Amino acid sequence: MNSFVWSLVGGRVLVAVFTLLVVSFTVFCATAILPGDVAEVLLGQAATPEAVAGLRAAMHLNDPALLRFVRWLAGLASGDLGKSYANNMQVAQLIGPRLLNSLKLAGITTLFSVPIALALGIAAAILRGSVFDRALTFLTIAVISVPEFMVATTAVLLFAVHLKWLPALSFAREATSFWDLLRIYAMPVITLAFVISAQMIRMTRAAMIETLDTPYVEMARLKGASPTRIVLRHALPNALGPIVNAVALSLSYLLGGVIIVETIFNYPGIAKLMVDAVSTRDLPLIQSCAMIFCLVYLLLITVADVIAILSNPRLRR
Amino acid sequence: MTDKIASNWTKADDAMVENAIRRGATRRELMQMLLAGGMAAAAGGSVLGRATAAVAQTPTSGGHLKAAGWSSSTADTLDPAKASLSTDYVRCCAFYNRLTFIDKSGTPQMELAESIDTKDAKVWTIKLRKGVTFHSGKTLSSADVVYSLKRHLDPAVGSKVNSIAKQISEVKPVDDLTVEVTLANPNADLPTILGTHHFMIIADGTTDFSKANGTGAFVCQTFEPGVRSVGVRNQNYWKSQKAHLDSFEFFAIPEDSARVNALLSGDIQLAASINPRSIRLVENQPGVVLSKSNSGGYTDLNMRLDMAPGDKQGFVEGVKLLLNREQIKNSALRGLAEVANDQPVPPSSPYFNTELKPRAFDPDKAKALFQKAGVLGQAIPVVASDAASSSIDMAVVLQQAGAGIGMNFDVKRVPSDGYWSNYWLKAPVHFGNINPRPTPDILFSLLYTSSAPWNESQYKSEKFDRMLVESRGLLDHAKRKQIYGEMQAMISNEAGTAIPVWIANVDAISSKLKGLEPNPLGGMMGYAFAEYVWLTA
Amino acid sequence: MMTRAIPLPLHYRINIVGLLALCVILFWTMVALFASQLAPHGVGEIVDLDYFGPMSRQFPVGTDYLGRDMLSRILFGARYTVGISLASVTIACVTGVTLGMAAAVTGGWFDTALSRFLDALNSIPSKLFGLVVVAGVGSSIPVLILTMAVIYTPGSYRFARALAVNVNTMDFITVARARGEGVPYIIGSEILPNIIGPVFADVGLRFVFIVLLLSGLSFLGLGVQPPDADWGALVRENISGLPFGAPAVMFPSIAIASLTISVNLLIDNLPKKTRDRSA
Repeated sequence: MNSFVWSLVGGRVLVAVFTLLVVSFTVFCATAILPGDVAEVLLGQAATPEAVAGLRAAMHLNDPALLRFVRWLAGLASGDLGKSYANNMQVAQLIGPRLLNSLKLAGITTLFSVPIALALGIAAAILRGSVFDRALTFLTIAVISVPEFMVATTAVLLFAVHLKWLPALSFAREATSFWDLLRIYAMPVITLAFVISAQMIRMTRAAMIETLDTPYVEMARLKGASPTRIVLRHALPNALGPIVNAVALSLSYLLGGVIIVETIFNYPGIAKLMVDAVSTRDLPLIQSCAMIFCLVYLLLITVADVIAILSNPRLRR
Repeated sequence: MTDKIASNWTKADDAMVENAIRRGATRRELMQMLLAGGMAAAAGGSVLGRATAAVAQTPTSGGHLKAAGWSSSTADTLDPAKASLSTDYVRCCAFYNRLTFIDKSGTPQMELAESIDTKDAKVWTIKLRKGVTFHSGKTLSSADVVYSLKRHLDPAVGSKVNSIAKQISEVKPVDDLTVEVTLANPNADLPTILGTHHFMIIADGTTDFSKANGTGAFVCQTFEPGVRSVGVRNQNYWKSQKAHLDSFEFFAIPEDSARVNALLSGDIQLAASINPRSIRLVENQPGVVLSKSNSGGYTDLNMRLDMAPGDKQGFVEGVKLLLNREQIKNSALRGLAEVANDQPVPPSSPYFNTELKPRAFDPDKAKALFQKAGVLGQAIPVVASDAASSSIDMAVVLQQAGAGIGMNFDVKRVPSDGYWSNYWLKAPVHFGNINPRPTPDILFSLLYTSSAPWNESQYKSEKFDRMLVESRGLLDHAKRKQIYGEMQAMISNEAGTAIPVWIANVDAISSKLKGLEPNPLGGMMGYAFAEYVWLTA
Repeated sequence: MMTRAIPLPLHYRINIVGLLALCVILFWTMVALFASQLAPHGVGEIVDLDYFGPMSRQFPVGTDYLGRDMLSRILFGARYTVGISLASVTIACVTGVTLGMAAAVTGGWFDTALSRFLDALNSIPSKLFGLVVVAGVGSSIPVLILTMAVIYTPGSYRFARALAVNVNTMDFITVARARGEGVPYIIGSEILPNIIGPVFADVGLRFVFIVLLLSGLSFLGLGVQPPDADWGALVRENISGLPFGAPAVMFPSIAIASLTISVNLLIDNLPKKTRDRSA
């Protein structure tokens, strides 16, 4: 690590605060544009103009929208995420356990899929054009071209309904042993791994092929370096930038994009929370979820950028 | 439930079927057996229902039930006034009680009330049961009932039944266990109204609904909005028959096939409201029983009479004739429906007008009417959404029929999100979805009077309004039935709401789960199953 | 290092796998163009009283949950899945890759501002974005194409920029700069040829994502309207036929897989003209 990296990280932190503000304002505007407000949504079919007006007044929704936004920001600055409009609970209390669930699922999926995906991608690049390479391409694309809900449903049908090996639903809290935990997480993790691995495998393969074709790798090969050494010492560091970016983009999907997996396996995570919040126009909850997604995304890409810079000597200026 | 039983069917036959069930015959085998005996399929199903119930009549105590509904969100609530999703109703029924309970025939039975009496249908005296306690230990008194009823009138509460509660002009305690309710106008249906889900009784002064303090058969152990709720048996329940189950857990699995799969894998014992297209999955499965109730919910096509093209003479009638009800019943709903006649009172209601026949599919007559209305060949946008169940499929059926006679119905699928506030009641031609209501009076006053909050087609008729007020005060059933019958005909012929079918509700349950009965308030025994069902080993 | 600037002999040979993939893509394009001539039934016509019908002479790939002819629905669906997805992926990737390369070459405030802006854009939940679009602009095919392009541009940009930044440090770029070449020349003639492989691989993947996103957006009410449906939506609406292997759920899945796999295999096996620098 050198001073350049530190200044980059420092700059990124400042920019991140700014980005968060911009995103939060955009999300606020988007929510405001959407027709209907929380009073109408909560009353649903019972939303007579009179009832809506009464509830709006009681929920202080008649204050100017901008004022409510500024109030929420002020609360955020003092560490208070506000109260949910929909059920009057503390947003932090609503998000807390579900964020933890989401992070668990994302963490396990990452640990499981990233090493396998990178290894497969590198192997495919080295064996470019071979049967292994073609079969892997075929399989990875076949796997992601099947819609996620179909992968999940097929898995449930096979492992839960027919074989009865695994539970169809995943309640994280009910695990009493490591074996239980394994059984509960197996299907969601495998489904998600299917979805995110393809991008990592394909991008790793493509980036590796690009570097394996460069003159300096050719040079190393001519000098008689061993294939392992060529790949790990010469090619990989130079392909690392695009690879970590692909990994970061894939992983960013694991928090907000897993709505289908959460729904089918009935896993109480944060993606479903966000979708609920949007449909009830629950501004404090939408904002808080959006901030979390944004923060995690910024964190991932900043790490990716730092790794990219560290791995390329010419960028380390 | 109006299933007809074959006239030559005897008790001995019932016994034979019961024996077959004890031997473990599947439903399909039984149906074949019955059909071979020359019995109509519908009647066969009914016999089978009775026999199955007879086998399983001795409840056993204990066990933990896991049941899944179809929707749940962070807006889940323990406040009965705000209840809006099936999950809310299930929770409220388990943790609270109503003054009355509507039984499977649609008749109100006394629950927390010992008696409800009136002389003029205007001033009502409600006597409460003695010795009922809340989960907190507090004893039920008239103050609790007064508080529970009055809060529906406060706009800040956001009650779903504010418009119905408005007819209550005064609620006052007479003594510790007596409450007097005065209505603005006479309404003989008050006991039924008090039996609907929103009128659950809560303790006086309750404002915090993060916990449920009710008098119900279960005590709320866990409530996580949008995730799940857990209830454990209330050992101090006021009824002599306490809940059979030790505890139950309720949550939602919105994806239809995921809900079915969870049942098939044994993760849950009750999957509520199965989509017709999933029926084939569960009907031949060992260990799975279907509980069907035709409770009177429907999805209707609304043509606003104050907007083009609904304001053109003949358009509405044309669409009603062009709706291929048989095809909607058979293709869109796979037979889990009954053809309806464009009015909201279901056949199971004692007030149902049997002389009013459903319109037959008649594209030629429809074409002539459209031609006269001058709309033939125009593109008519029809707004449909997943929010109104089966509406997209119904729209497609109408679109196809239209294409056959040169009518262009332009189906617009819009998001479920915000459908009820943005499109319902607003678009010129759109779909609505109406839950079952226990009385014609509630249906008419919510949906068809000039001042109705959900007047879906903007139907205005002074005659209709007058008839409704007149019938409300009548305690004479025959007289009422005659007026209601006439009003049903008026709606069917004049209003812009096309009601093609009654949609049946089908809950799929594990064969280990017993005691579930149909109820006119909706599926899952009117959402009150938790108190009444039991699990066998 | 300068050898790479010398024009190499061109190889136009495409291998057999690539050729096959190309044929599949052309087949589906033809189907998309002539769907109305090929389809035996109307797209919304209920022709079977049964549902999830099996494969038969009358209905070669069975019927769907309403009893509509699946073959016709898949043929009509090709128009949306092939057409809309190709249009969106082209817009997203051309924009993303061009901006990514420009940002890498230009650097400085342009790079920073653009990168952070697209990061922010990528942070907005796509469901919220989709709903706002429906509410604000309404639903039509061009809107649908643009929405998906906007959703996938930031990812394409980030990946292209990461690739281009590495190439940008190479000596031949410095030489080109020294010759006084402008940014358009550098990105078009120096950077692009050196990152084209991974960029194409990325395009292939994004195509798959867009094909699948299409059905998701249809369910938000943004996009293809009933009775028409894209292939993803066909899979989704017939998913309850999966447990008994209904052709109504299998064939649209096969159609999606055949198209997306072909697109990616074609990309992997493109004629070596632009890709082979070591020959």
